[in-house]
Amino acid sequence: MTTGSRHPAAQVAARTPAAGPRGGGEVMGDGRSALATVRSRLWRARPLLVGAVVLLIIVVLTLLSGTGDDDAPLSPGNAGPEGARAVAEVLAAQGVEIRRPASYEEADALLGEGPATLFLNDPQQYLSATQLTELGTAADRAVLAAPGERQLSALPGGFDLVGPLPFDPGGDAPPPSAQCEDSGAVAAGTITATGTAYSGPVTCFPETIEDLSGGLYVTSADGAVAVLGAPTILANRSITDEGNAALALASLGSSPTLVWFEPTAADVVAVGEGIDPLTLLPGWVDVLLVWLLVCGILAMIWRGRRMGPLATEPLPVLVHAAETAEGRARLYQDSDAVAHAAANLRAATLVRLARHLRLDRSATAPEILDAAARQGGRSRSELAERLLENTPTTNRELVPWAQELLDLEKEITST
Amino acid sequence: MVITGRLVLLALLGVVPVIAYPGTTSILLWALLLAVLAGLDLALAASPRRLGISRTLPESVRLGEDSASTLVLRNDASRRMRATVREAWQPSAGAQDPEQSLDLPAGEARRRSVHLRPVRRGILRVDTITVRSAGPLGLAARQLTVEAPGVLRVLPPFNSRRHLPSKLRRLRELDGRSAVQIRGAGTEFDSLRDYVRGDDVRSIDWRATARRRDTVVRTWRPERDRHVVVVLDTSRTSAARILDEPRLDTGIEAALLLSVLAERGGDKVHFLAFDRRVRARVDSTAKGNLLGSLVSAMAPLEPELIEADFSRVAAQVRAASAHRSLVVLLTALDAGAVEEGLLPALPSLTERHVVVVASVRDPQLEDLRADRSTASATFRAAAAERALLDRAAITAQIRLLGAEVVDAVPAELPPRLADAYIRLKAAGRL
Repeated sequence: MTTGSRHPAAQVAARTPAAGPRGGGEVMGDGRSALATVRSRLWRARPLLVGAVVLLIIVVLTLLSGTGDDDAPLSPGNAGPEGARAVAEVLAAQGVEIRRPASYEEADALLGEGPATLFLNDPQQYLSATQLTELGTAADRAVLAAPGERQLSALPGGFDLVGPLPFDPGGDAPPPSAQCEDSGAVAAGTITATGTAYSGPVTCFPETIEDLSGGLYVTSADGAVAVLGAPTILANRSITDEGNAALALASLGSSPTLVWFEPTAADVVAVGEGIDPLTLLPGWVDVLLVWLLVCGILAMIWRGRRMGPLATEPLPVLVHAAETAEGRARLYQDSDAVAHAAANLRAATLVRLARHLRLDRSATAPEILDAAARQGGRSRSELAERLLENTPTTNRELVPWAQELLDLEKEITST
Repeated sequence: MVITGRLVLLALLGVVPVIAYPGTTSILLWALLLAVLAGLDLALAASPRRLGISRTLPESVRLGEDSASTLVLRNDASRRMRATVREAWQPSAGAQDPEQSLDLPAGEARRRSVHLRPVRRGILRVDTITVRSAGPLGLAARQLTVEAPGVLRVLPPFNSRRHLPSKLRRLRELDGRSAVQIRGAGTEFDSLRDYVRGDDVRSIDWRATARRRDTVVRTWRPERDRHVVVVLDTSRTSAARILDEPRLDTGIEAALLLSVLAERGGDKVHFLAFDRRVRARVDSTAKGNLLGSLVSAMAPLEPELIEADFSRVAAQVRAASAHRSLVVLLTALDAGAVEEGLLPALPSLTERHVVVVASVRDPQLEDLRADRSTASATFRAAAAERALLDRAAITAQIRLLGAEVVDAVPAELPPRLADAYIRLKAAGRL
């Protein structure tokens, strides 16, 4: 018994065949215990086991380390060029408390707690017009970052979307100036010309797009709702340009609390009477699917286990005998060796004719022709022309010529 | 361990409690039930390590005939064994029922036969026997693979033996022929008989005629105890398949027919399988049945992927027979191989011996030659013509060197070679 050895391969090699090739002797077992077999199986499977463990570790590490770095644009926690941490830090230093609700309901509740400013950054336009209007009215002051036309439809005050500013690659367009009564806008003076223009009761930083005039910062008559068409002025990258910082601080820092709300897909409300078909299924379906998965895995193990190792077949080498001829034919064809092929065909025909006409092996072509003319019905000159003088030069000529050669041979040898 | 279809069925039955009491608990409970039952079954299964196996195999079998590997299985365990036993024959052994089921009470033995119908000549092997012993519930089983090597020698079929009776009759007709047909050197005196009209007057034995009143002529019989050396080429050219048979197998058929015929004709036969060294060797002077030792020696022959070295054939032939012999070379008449190998070595053989070069002709070349329907087919025809011309040139060269050439399609080669032998024997050239 070799239990305890660390190298099953060595055990296998050391084992002697239990029976002679012709039989006779009785074989019983493989000379090892069940435990040793299990151990050797595990030893053989260790690359797979190591691979599985490594995979498991990778999966676990990925799940654990997926802390979700804040890298969303215009997020108050993002310190990157696209983030808005600079504005948030300055506001916090000035005593403004920044709250970040995770859902629409939470945002609504926060706004109800006391005087607060809402900053709504919804680039994917998850919120509906009703939700947006409700939030806007619940807040003492609401700053909407580039809302969509659909979202504005229910908002009182007559806000409207005019259109995006044309792309300005050189950056040589003059930055728009306030040109309105709003104190924040006046304090800013000018801001970076980018984003979307809106129209409304008070239009600041006016821009004209295709004969329609609008502004990048539009507020209601009482200043309670403001639409910021250029939210990128809040980004860390551009906050120090022009009067961006002044406008940002003035519009966001008017209340002791700032509710910085970034809606997610979870805040989307279902529109209409559509029903999720999954809710129609009974409750046990999920459990059943899990159990069927288990059954499927069991079935795979059942069918996947072989009755012992595969038997190997030592195959002898066999080559198709006509392969060399086929290969030569392809060489002829690829190199367009029409003359060569024709010479072969003619030589073979002459040799066969010579044998049929009982001429010597060393007979020359004219001698064979003489004999063939004596034997068959055709004149010597005709035979000479068809057999010797006509020589094809192209593939197209070769085929009929070769067929004619064969016909001629049959004609002469059959007479 | 192995799980069975029954366990999977039982698992599928678990659908009922899972639907009746949805939740993780029913899944876990059912899984636990499965695990417990399977574990119990495994624990109660008889150990496959206690199954004694002994195998009986026939010494050899001719290709095309059925055979069987008989296993005697003895249960040495204290429990009843419900097992499936698989003998892992290589596929060309053509095992009809490699998996045998077995219900074996403790201490008893059973006999099981695995029927074999080999599809290939050669040494066929079985390496392992796998035993799968299921528990009483049939849910799980223990599996063990046991090393139990065995070999079955599959002999060449000798299909050409159907030509043997007719060739033997022709050989017998040579006996006692009068000198009318056969004259010249090398024939042996057989007997005297009365002159009949038409006998050659030169064969009249005047001395005997003087003793009797009638005219008496001598008759002759073909020589006996001549040596026939059959050399079978097993080099790379023998791997070529012509129709549905490798050239080597056709050569084996031809060699078998010729050897048996020559032995019955009273000659001594030596067989050599040769490429760069001797692969097999049989002498009729040795004890035992010539045909039996020939087929066993030929069974394991396989084409070797090396070039034949004909320069050593002369020495091998001399080692096999020190006398003037009929040397039959079963080889291929492929232009390159023959020009490099056989032609330079042939004179050293022909100066001492009568040499016959026998080769298989590929009938497919004739088909290719006649097909001139398209450009591709015409090029193939040209290539086939070139191959046939080369072959004819080689044949002519071999004949110039004083050797006979037998060139025939696979089915025709054995009888044609036998004819050549009879013709040479009749002509007294052996």
